[in-house]
Amino acid sequence: MKTTKNFYLARPVSGHLAPALTDSPIRGHRNAKIAVWNSADHAVPSGTFCCRHSGPLSEECSLPRSRTLGPVTERNALKSPNGQDFNRVLQATRTFHTEQPHLAPVPPLPEYGGKVRHGLIPEEFFQYLYPKTGVTGPYVLGTGLILYALSKEIYVITGETITGLAVIGLYIFGVKKFGPSVAAFADKLNEQKLAQLEEAKQASIKQIQDAVDMEKAQQALVQKRHYLFDVQRNNIALALEVTYRERLHRVYKEVKNRLDYHISVQNMMRRKEQEHMINWVEKHVVQSISAQQVLNIFDVLTLYLYL
Amino acid sequence: MVRSPLTATSASQDSKMAGRKLALKTIDWIAFWEIIPQNQKAIANSLKSWNEILTSRLAALPENPPSIDWAYYKANVAKAGLVDDFEKKFNALKVPIPEDPYTALVDAEEKEDVKSCAEWVSLSKARVVEYEKKMEKYKNLIPFEQMTIEDLNEAFPETKLDKQKYPYWPHQPIENL
Repeated sequence: MKTTKNFYLARPVSGHLAPALTDSPIRGHRNAKIAVWNSADHAVPSGTFCCRHSGPLSEECSLPRSRTLGPVTERNALKSPNGQDFNRVLQATRTFHTEQPHLAPVPPLPEYGGKVRHGLIPEEFFQYLYPKTGVTGPYVLGTGLILYALSKEIYVITGETITGLAVIGLYIFGVKKFGPSVAAFADKLNEQKLAQLEEAKQASIKQIQDAVDMEKAQQALVQKRHYLFDVQRNNIALALEVTYRERLHRVYKEVKNRLDYHISVQNMMRRKEQEHMINWVEKHVVQSISAQQVLNIFDVLTLYLYL
Repeated sequence: MVRSPLTATSASQDSKMAGRKLALKTIDWIAFWEIIPQNQKAIANSLKSWNEILTSRLAALPENPPSIDWAYYKANVAKAGLVDDFEKKFNALKVPIPEDPYTALVDAEEKEDVKSCAEWVSLSKARVVEYEKKMEKYKNLIPFEQMTIEDLNEAFPETKLDKQKYPYWPHQPIENL
């Protein structure tokens, strides 16, 4: 035998079941019940086979009895360190309780259970008999047992036999026909649950990420807050400057207005005086023209007319 | 008919204007817009428009008013001494630079703001640390296919069924199913 290497069974078989040997298969159990073996239950020579569902739940099981959530997909299928696929290799010997119990993360369940022939008889039985009786051995044994039971009337053929045969036939037909689709449906339900959880997890992660990003952005903005106050200060400075300049301009304007007023008053007075003087001179000139001079001028004018 | 004397800045006039400089900081308007929260956008807008109004008014006013040509007035005004009197008084007049009690207020506000911002930033950093921790926890979860119900309850405490409050299956109000 090769040297033993340790690996662990899938969880529902209770994690404290420890290692088996390298070339032993994993006994995959998708059943919710925990099958617990004590090493005392088995003789552990090479080539034992273990029963599949055996034994009551042991009080020794220190781990919670629970069921893993998901099916095992191909990627989870256990491989031995040597790369053998455990699901297909016989389990030879097993030692239990030799290691500390292992907790999460639980190694995933194997996808398929142990191989079984005709849906009833585990493969290990055939392998067990193979060295002694070859390929046909178990079949011969089976046939012999059935014939013995029939002939010795250990099993009595009654009406129930026909019923039984018919029912079993129907069962087999039903399972073969509808089994895969029902399995697919169940798997889909499970997938949905998993997808939901996954979605929730992703949403949470995204939410947290968004929160972190926003916090970082806000922190960056803090650097720019001084602009608000800069604007206010600028406004104040501008307003003050504008006021000051307006005052200066006002002073200038007022002074200039007054000076200009004086000048314009002077100009106006002079103009008025000029006009008045002109009027006065004209008036007196006109007055001084005597009546006689007017007639003389008329004569001269009439002379010009005739010319 | 009024002859306005041409302006000619003479050195005597410049001495009246005190040496004040307008020190304006350059503003990044985009950043200014960013830091304002939504409910104060109107106020920010008014600040901005005031800024624009004031800058345009400032641009319209030259820095010093034109200077008065005293010689011309002295020559033309008949009243003796009037112009001299005006000139003396004009040069003696000091236009007061307006006082500025407001910048102090703004500075005080800014200091307070800096303090509260620093406080907020430290709180924010603490929050970020918490978030990072949560994120780590989520990222390090084992894949759901390998969890048991106990693991699920640990990771997401809200999935835990309260068996004290609802002792009978399904351990939650029917509506939640």
